[in-house]
Amino acid sequence: MSAATAQAHPAMDARGWDEAAYRRGILRGRDLSCRTLFRAVFFDHSDEPDPDVLLAAASSDGSLASFSLSSCISSATATPSQPDAAALVDPVCIVQAHRGPAYDVRFYPDPQQPLLFSCGDDGRIRGWRWHEMQSCLVPLSLQGDHLEPALDLVNPQHEGPWGARSPIPENNAIAINKQEGSIFAAAGDACAYCWDVESGKCKMTFKGHTDYLHSIAVREANRQVVTGSEDGTARIWDCRGGKCTQVIHPVKNKAFKSSWVSCVAIDASESWLACGTSSGVSVWSLLSNECVFNLDCHAPVQDLLFDKNQILAVGAEPVLSRFTINGTVLSQIKCAPQSAFSVSIHSSGIAAVAGYGGLVDVISELGSHLCTFGSRGLDK
Amino acid sequence: MAAEAMDVEAPARPPPTASAAKFRSPHDLLAETRASIEKVAARMLAIKRDGTPKSELRDLVTQMSLLLITLRQVNREILMEEDRVKGETEAAKAPVDSTTLQLHNLLYEKNHYVKAIRGCLDFQTKYPGIELVPEEEFHRAAPADIRDKTLAADAAHDLMLKRLNFELVQRKELCKLHDKLEKQRSSLLDTIANQKKFLSSLPSHLKSLKKASVPVQQQLGMQHTKKLKQQHAAELLPTPLYIAYTQLLGQKEAFGENIEVEITGSTKDAQIFAQQQVKKKNGTLLNGDNNRIDDDVIDEEEDSQRRRSRSKKNVVKEANNPAVAYQLHPLKIILHVYDTEDSGTKCCKLITLRFEYLAKLNVVCVGIEDSEGLDNNNILCNLFPDDTGIELPHQMAKIYAGDAPNFSDKDSRPYKWVQHLAGIDFLPEVPPSVGDDSNRALNSADLSSGLALYRQQNRAQTILQRIRSRKVAQMALMWQLDYLTKLKWPRIEHKNTPWASRTPLCSLHSWSLTGSFPEPSPRSSLMMSGAASSVDNDIERRYVTHWEETGTREDGELPVVILAENEPNGSGSTMLLPEVSPEVRSHYRGLSLISKSATPSKLSISLSFGRNENDLDLLMYSDSELEDQPCTHEETEKGSLTKNKSWEDYASREFTMVLSKTLKNGPKVMLEAKVNISMEYPLRPPLFILRLLSEKSETSKWHNDLRAMEAEVNLHILRSLPSSCEDDILTHQVMCLAMLFDMHFDEDYKKRKVTSVIDVGLCKPVSGTMLTRSVRGRDRRQTIYWSGADRPSSYL
Repeated sequence: MSAATAQAHPAMDARGWDEAAYRRGILRGRDLSCRTLFRAVFFDHSDEPDPDVLLAAASSDGSLASFSLSSCISSATATPSQPDAAALVDPVCIVQAHRGPAYDVRFYPDPQQPLLFSCGDDGRIRGWRWHEMQSCLVPLSLQGDHLEPALDLVNPQHEGPWGARSPIPENNAIAINKQEGSIFAAAGDACAYCWDVESGKCKMTFKGHTDYLHSIAVREANRQVVTGSEDGTARIWDCRGGKCTQVIHPVKNKAFKSSWVSCVAIDASESWLACGTSSGVSVWSLLSNECVFNLDCHAPVQDLLFDKNQILAVGAEPVLSRFTINGTVLSQIKCAPQSAFSVSIHSSGIAAVAGYGGLVDVISELGSHLCTFGSRGLDK
Repeated sequence: MAAEAMDVEAPARPPPTASAAKFRSPHDLLAETRASIEKVAARMLAIKRDGTPKSELRDLVTQMSLLLITLRQVNREILMEEDRVKGETEAAKAPVDSTTLQLHNLLYEKNHYVKAIRGCLDFQTKYPGIELVPEEEFHRAAPADIRDKTLAADAAHDLMLKRLNFELVQRKELCKLHDKLEKQRSSLLDTIANQKKFLSSLPSHLKSLKKASVPVQQQLGMQHTKKLKQQHAAELLPTPLYIAYTQLLGQKEAFGENIEVEITGSTKDAQIFAQQQVKKKNGTLLNGDNNRIDDDVIDEEEDSQRRRSRSKKNVVKEANNPAVAYQLHPLKIILHVYDTEDSGTKCCKLITLRFEYLAKLNVVCVGIEDSEGLDNNNILCNLFPDDTGIELPHQMAKIYAGDAPNFSDKDSRPYKWVQHLAGIDFLPEVPPSVGDDSNRALNSADLSSGLALYRQQNRAQTILQRIRSRKVAQMALMWQLDYLTKLKWPRIEHKNTPWASRTPLCSLHSWSLTGSFPEPSPRSSLMMSGAASSVDNDIERRYVTHWEETGTREDGELPVVILAENEPNGSGSTMLLPEVSPEVRSHYRGLSLISKSATPSKLSISLSFGRNENDLDLLMYSDSELEDQPCTHEETEKGSLTKNKSWEDYASREFTMVLSKTLKNGPKVMLEAKVNISMEYPLRPPLFILRLLSEKSETSKWHNDLRAMEAEVNLHILRSLPSSCEDDILTHQVMCLAMLFDMHFDEDYKKRKVTSVIDVGLCKPVSGTMLTRSVRGRDRRQTIYWSGADRPSSYL
């Protein structure tokens, strides 16, 4: 952080002193270190064996950035002067996707035109052409508003008495169903919405939660979606009728009153459901509708996913945990973000943990840290 | 006698031959006689031999006797002749002798005369080099009585005599003139002496006059005398100090800057110093001489005590002697900075600075003159970025000063901004005493262009502004810290912020200074004593060093796990989760052990953790074993981090604040905030790092909230605060933190009325109750709104 400030203003002294710029530099450094990356996902859909792994990240300042992992590694190792601080790297492309924080980002794996969908606090879902982002020629300092979204969806507002309209609810998470060409969004008004990518219309609304939704996952085979909510429950919905088929209480018998389900994940065989809650991880069998195990973690779990038959989970502590499906802790790897909001895994086994501090920690299959970097972010 | 006889006989022979006709010469006669004698003798002999009768003998004897008589006669005749010739010769010889004598006398006389003539010819006059006026001028200028008188027969001689006379007359006249002028001169000398006497008495008169005028000057506020003195001293200043002095003075006079600049120190010393410099420039002085002269000078000037100390120092070589390397120029500049705000007629003095010049190092140092405060030493640190003042600013000085100059203890330091103020960046790097002649000559063109840039950059103004704002900010900070150490909420009046007007519900439990950098005692000693076992500690330290060496290269093992403590997100890496970090660190420790020596240890087993299920038990075992000494690790980590502290942290202080609040249903909540206040306050605002002081399961629930509170306090409110209340940033931050703490840990925050917002979307009774929305987003931020003049709403 301090290194970045110094680099930005190489000759700051009594000769030609610009106090405002110096103050801006300090505040920018603080801003970068206070930022949260809510999601970092790998682009894992290219057919050709691309040696360069690409990564897209959504930040709390509403920006959407894509990184090339190889250049991140090289620049992270090129600056070993401060081994305790993560290196700041330049993204390949950065766009101001949302006003307010951008909460989630997912790839829509169209073979011709892969789209990157992002959602954020402004209640919008925007689709960005991934190739356009990668082959952009605009210099980085001028980027931000240089791309137009291919798709721009806004959550509906609720009509109150006398026509008063509610604020646009935010979108906390999105999930993609490629087969049906639909996007599912977990919104702040306790509803989940299903959007059609082709028409841009809202196909379905799932109502029933009593508090805002944190996360959503698709069970394609059964045409179901699973949502996790602030009200402490996860619900399984039928996409055809929009009805709730099952309410899961992962934290029903906990002493801590205000509990929530912050993340849900379904494994590849679509027979297991993992819920991250305010107190731990809860795994359910979707086939038998039974809780497999409840594991208490020290900190609230904030993201999890299935890696084959194991579960990777991160939470409000700088640790990436790996569990078996039986609830045995396999490993706990220390990671850079103090509070991790996202874990994602590449088909090659590399995992990326992103979270507070604007940091992304890329961890290899074997548990070693490939690189840790923070994004430079937009110049504002 | 025989030869003479022969000679005499020889000329005598012809006459007998010539006169043979008349008479026989005696010599012929002698020969005849002899022959007849011989004949007789022969006959006699023959008679004797033949025995012939001796008859004839008689006859023969008579004959013989006759012959003998003749012989005798002849002989007599010859002798007589000889005597006569001798007498004749004698008579002839006498005139020859007298003539010869006469000749000799004449020759002698002649030689004498020749010599006398030569002497006369070579004779020189008594005054050989009399410079006479040329002939033409003589003819032109000589008076008639000299010219027309005839003194000698010879014309040339006459002329010469006349010229000489003329010369004599002329010279006499000149002598007279000379005497006259001499008299005049002496009289003039007398008058000069008189006037000098008067002049020498004049300064004392003037001085008394000046003395008498000083009260009048003070009365009128003209300060003429002082100014003159200062100007005189300014001429003796070394170039860097001169530039600083003139620029500050110019700033003061041109812009009415509220400062006072003066020069202190002995001007005599400065003069001596300047002379020394000149001598050194000429290169004629050796070190020893130089020092001796230095000593002599001090003999005259200084008391004996200092002399003794100085002479002691002279023993040591100059280059290695820090006392000489850090030798100060005798003159100093004192700068009084006053407050700019016109609060009445009398401005309060903010700070007094003392600028000194290290002549050998070509470095200007600055210190606080009136250090009545205890922690004033660091107040000028980081006035501009990366300027702690503990290192010499340029390489030359570093090399000259030798190993590791330490300015942190001294009260005056060579900050970079001082060098910029003194224009050292465009003065030559090498001081005049070092280096060759070409470098030494100060290029006046360079200097003037450098000064033009200097003025363009407003250096003096910038620096004065910074000093002023620094001092004001530090005073404001002291005032705020005063309140906080007394555990009182500092009061500020600011309309646009909700925290300023409200009284916090929580209480300020404690406020203490927990750390400062540079620390008075190294932390490593603390680490040693706090270690549970020395072996473990040793390994730990080895790990630290190894970790620094190999860095990220080792097998892609990026030891990024430990974040810098000065980063806000690195706040509680070990504090919140002490059960994780030792484990990970033991992992690295194992790595370092393996890579150093292939000795398998218990710890190295944990290297493979995370890959093999069987290892987990072992891991847990070592984990729990290590868990009982987390404080050791914490200390170690801090110890390793202190080395990495950068200039930003220099002279920073860390305070620990604890806010506490008792909830209605029993538990007491304590929020600890580590507040890092750097010297750059308020340009670099204080950094808050928060953690909850309660049991672990609770704290991690609040992790995101604490980070959000940090972000709000450290960043967001700074953007909304106007620059006018910049100096009160700490108060704003503390009050804001208290407000946020109140809100987050409000026992009935679910039923909050004033600050909560009802989301209309949730208004539709899903479960029959009205819901207020208190958190939002994936990070479950608590949302608050407030109204302000410049910022309609804000959320957290």
